Amino acid sequence: MIEVTEHTRDVLLEVAKKRKIYVEGSFLKILKAPKGDKEFEDYLKLCKEKDVTTRKKRLEVTKQVQQQNKELVTKQEETDALMEELQEALEAAKNAEWEAEKLRDEAEKGKEQALEDLDLMQKRSQFELIGTIVRVALVIIIGVGIVTTIMYGLAILSGQDTQIIGSTWSNMFGILLTNAFSIVGTIMGVKYASEKDS
Amino acid sequence: MINTLMLIDDENLFHLVFEDACSILDMALSFEALDSSDEANKMFKKWFPDDPDHERPECVFVDLNIIGSSFDGIEMIRKINYEYGDNCVIGIISSSEDEKEIERAKKVGAQFWIIKSDDIEPRLEEFMEDYDDYKVKKAPFKIYR
Repeated sequence: MIEVTEHTRDVLLEVAKKRKIYVEGSFLKILKAPKGDKEFEDYLKLCKEKDVTTRKKRLEVTKQVQQQNKELVTKQEETDALMEELQEALEAAKNAEWEAEKLRDEAEKGKEQALEDLDLMQKRSQFELIGTIVRVALVIIIGVGIVTTIMYGLAILSGQDTQIIGSTWSNMFGILLTNAFSIVGTIMGVKYASEKDS
Repeated sequence: MINTLMLIDDENLFHLVFEDACSILDMALSFEALDSSDEANKMFKKWFPDDPDHERPECVFVDLNIIGSSFDGIEMIRKINYEYGDNCVIGIISSSEDEKEIERAKKVGAQFWIIKSDDIEPRLEEFMEDYDDYKVKKAPFKIYR
């Protein structure tokens, strides 16, 4: 402990009185008042009180700053975690978009395929219908031809007048052949048109 | 009262908290704070075996994880106790309560473990009650929660 000299004591007390400047910090802990010097003892007590008050205030502020720092660090960590989650979500959204794009392409292809199949089925039905018409027409033509020829043959064999039946057979045969070629021509035309469309 | 007190901690803000708390509690005459164990190591090396021009600290508080240093607080305690003379009261001040680390600290000769928190003053007061026993190496290892 340092016991202050009378001169130092007087200077310290004067500075405190006039300028409100007091001794503070660790130095205060090693200062000792001269024996029986009540005034200087009171001065040292006041210095200590002021020092403790100042330190308490500073401690409070420092603790608050420390607390705020901790909170900031925690918030930063939370923000980082959120950013990471956001990044992952963004990545997932991109993947989902890519998947959707892929599925849309596949659906588009499926639709095209279905349309092609439908077209093919329609064409097939048309050809089947045409085939049926041709068969029926050919049957009728051949049937009429056969019936007329038989009737003409019977007329010749029975020695009856064949002038009417002969001209009828000839006309009928001509008409039938013409119609047969017309049907074949129509079929060829339809087939050509269908192939051109597809 | 502790004559010279040293704190080794990387958190500069805690230096202020600790210094003010010590001053308010009238714990120490002089206080020195260092922010790295490397720096502390250099100083203890200089003081060892005994440097009459420099008084080595009477009591040392070491943080467990000292960021930016070559070794942690427990290794620092081991060095002080086993390489630089073992003649100061020494322990850990940390927010960690890891049992494994506490055991490690005990093994290298730490005398106490103070849990660092916002309200450090009551723990330091309790520590000061036991301080004289720590000085004569009588007090058992204690955790101040």
